[in-house]
Amino acid sequence: MEGFFSVFTVELLNSGIRLATPILLAALGGALCNQAGVLNLALESKMLLGAFVGILAAFYLGNSYVGLLVAMAAGGLLGLLFAFLYHKYKVDLVILAIAFNLIIVELTVFVMRALFGNVGSWSDPSIVRIPDIQIPILHDIPFIGPILSGYNIIVYFSWLVTIAMFIFLYKMRGGRHLRAVGENKSAAETVGINAVLLQTLALVISGALAGLGGAFLSIGHLKLFTRNMSNGRGWIAIAAAMFGVNHPIGVFLASLFFGFADAFSVRIQNVTDLPPNLVKLLPNVATLLVLIIIALRSKIALSMARRRFRSQLRADEAARPAETSL
Amino acid sequence: MTQNRLLKLLDTIMVPVLAMISGLIVMGILIILIKKPLFESYAILFSTGFGCEKYGNCIFITALERATPLIFTGLSAVVAFRSGMFSIGQEGQYLVGAVAAAWLGYVIHLPPILHPLLLMLAAMLAGAAYGWIPGILRVKLGVNELLATIMLNSIAALVTEHLVQFPMRADKSTTAHSPVIDKTAYLTSFVPGSNWGMGFVIAVIAVIVVLLYLWRTKAGYEQRMAGQSKLFALYGGIPSDKSAIRAMLISGALAGLAGAVEVMGVHHRIMTGFSTGLGFDGLTAAILGQIHPIGVFIVAILFSGLKLGAQLGLQLQLEIPRELGGTIIGFIILFVAAGKLYEDSIVRVRNWFARRNSHSLKG
Repeated sequence: MEGFFSVFTVELLNSGIRLATPILLAALGGALCNQAGVLNLALESKMLLGAFVGILAAFYLGNSYVGLLVAMAAGGLLGLLFAFLYHKYKVDLVILAIAFNLIIVELTVFVMRALFGNVGSWSDPSIVRIPDIQIPILHDIPFIGPILSGYNIIVYFSWLVTIAMFIFLYKMRGGRHLRAVGENKSAAETVGINAVLLQTLALVISGALAGLGGAFLSIGHLKLFTRNMSNGRGWIAIAAAMFGVNHPIGVFLASLFFGFADAFSVRIQNVTDLPPNLVKLLPNVATLLVLIIIALRSKIALSMARRRFRSQLRADEAARPAETSL
Repeated sequence: MTQNRLLKLLDTIMVPVLAMISGLIVMGILIILIKKPLFESYAILFSTGFGCEKYGNCIFITALERATPLIFTGLSAVVAFRSGMFSIGQEGQYLVGAVAAAWLGYVIHLPPILHPLLLMLAAMLAGAAYGWIPGILRVKLGVNELLATIMLNSIAALVTEHLVQFPMRADKSTTAHSPVIDKTAYLTSFVPGSNWGMGFVIAVIAVIVVLLYLWRTKAGYEQRMAGQSKLFALYGGIPSDKSAIRAMLISGALAGLAGAVEVMGVHHRIMTGFSTGLGFDGLTAAILGQIHPIGVFIVAILFSGLKLGAQLGLQLQLEIPRELGGTIIGFIILFVAAGKLYEDSIVRVRNWFARRNSHSLKG
């Protein structure tokens, strides 16, 4: 028993939270888009773009924090381009996402090789990794301190975004309008809500968040860029947004789940001698299972609603003879 | 009548052709940005990718060889899309098929002709089974098939990697690979020194079969109707769920066949890094080929030529990173998706055609 639990350490929690961060940032953006009724399947490409542009900016401008901002701007711009193509030319968002995935995967390597020669991955000693910050008082609390403190600014920022998005969506007028657009676009437009603007806003913010999530990989967690560095995290983020029913808190918990699945598979590789390729399956299998759970959940909700409707119908019918007899 | 058909054909190919031209313009911009000679690049790209230096050293034949699995995965995507299933699981199904073929290739010993047939059948069954999973999940539970197939792709890639490195590994060489399959299971090649051979013939047969299936059989009609409008199909009494499952089975079988042909005709074994994004390329070939078997056939050859031209021409001769080829293909897909960009020019060309025809009638 003890041997099994030796896997669960504070370090595992720490790395779980770290690995959850890029997924969380992208998934929050995805959830915002889903709430606004635009399908954002291109999180993967925005993440990869953020990872690449972030480390480039950190290198050329000599400041990793500036790199983060540039990564966000790049992701946001790509989101703006999506919104433009979607609203102006009615481009199919699924095909658009597939096209951009291919373009960004190849273009980032193309630019990397054009700039730095024929390399598979690139790093430079002058690049500074975003430093970890200990939160003064929180850090000294036993047990909770080491779990909640000691991450870099992106991790804390992702928590802030979770709270901010919750407040925006459920406590503010703009958020209510955004959800109304997602619920029924033409109805929202009839009452004077600018649906195009809100959907554009959602795509831009989601792009910026995914870009930041990507930059977390290249200058926050590691200190290098490799081909296809996001490695499917953008797709997992889409599943996380669905798993968390597009609610910021739900998305937060779902992302933590995927982060821990990731950290767990890394940890198991170090502790046991299970074949590494099979252990790496864990996050993918978890995602597939989650997709099935999501589907089952909505199916059950549908059948419950149907049953409620039927019993309501039966109750009405039972009431009617009583009325006629009066 | 013929004139109408011509106009219809023009309408279909107009957007892909314009998208290709736009993609090549983007390529020019990228080449100017990295300060390489522009016109020389175009010349080298096409002369290498689609050219022949001398008999036996023909890169175009290599392009046809590379196009072979792409045609299968492209057809696989066509069958799935036409039934309304947005499956991008070709990569996983291709790997499953390849593993099945490679394993049976050295485990079972059979006479020629029978051996390749058995391998192809096994690969098709394996691919179909792997395609059935997202199909049944979609139909019975409503699981998003796009996300499900993405996850199944990475699962297949990791499991294949494991199989090649441990249970199926032939020897302790630096790059893990499985034992070579029996000579009886090889697909013959047409040109000595290249692997362009029977696989290509099978691909052409597959194009014709898919074409006939989708447009000349009842099952194919049901499938296309279910893909175009699920509600309409239901009104017409077409079981759209059944046709979706059937589509996923066929789509999986085609992608699995791609794996078998690649094993039997080219590598004769399976090794680390066997998946090179062929499934994804097939998907893009399907989109650019207007989700039509003949379109897929043409685009697959064009893609392979472009990639080879970028790899062997641009990278080796001009030191332009070969990722340029993939980037251009991505941009071409983008331009196809944004087909409305070209609407004005299409209308103009149509008018020009109409005017010319009316002139010739008067004359």
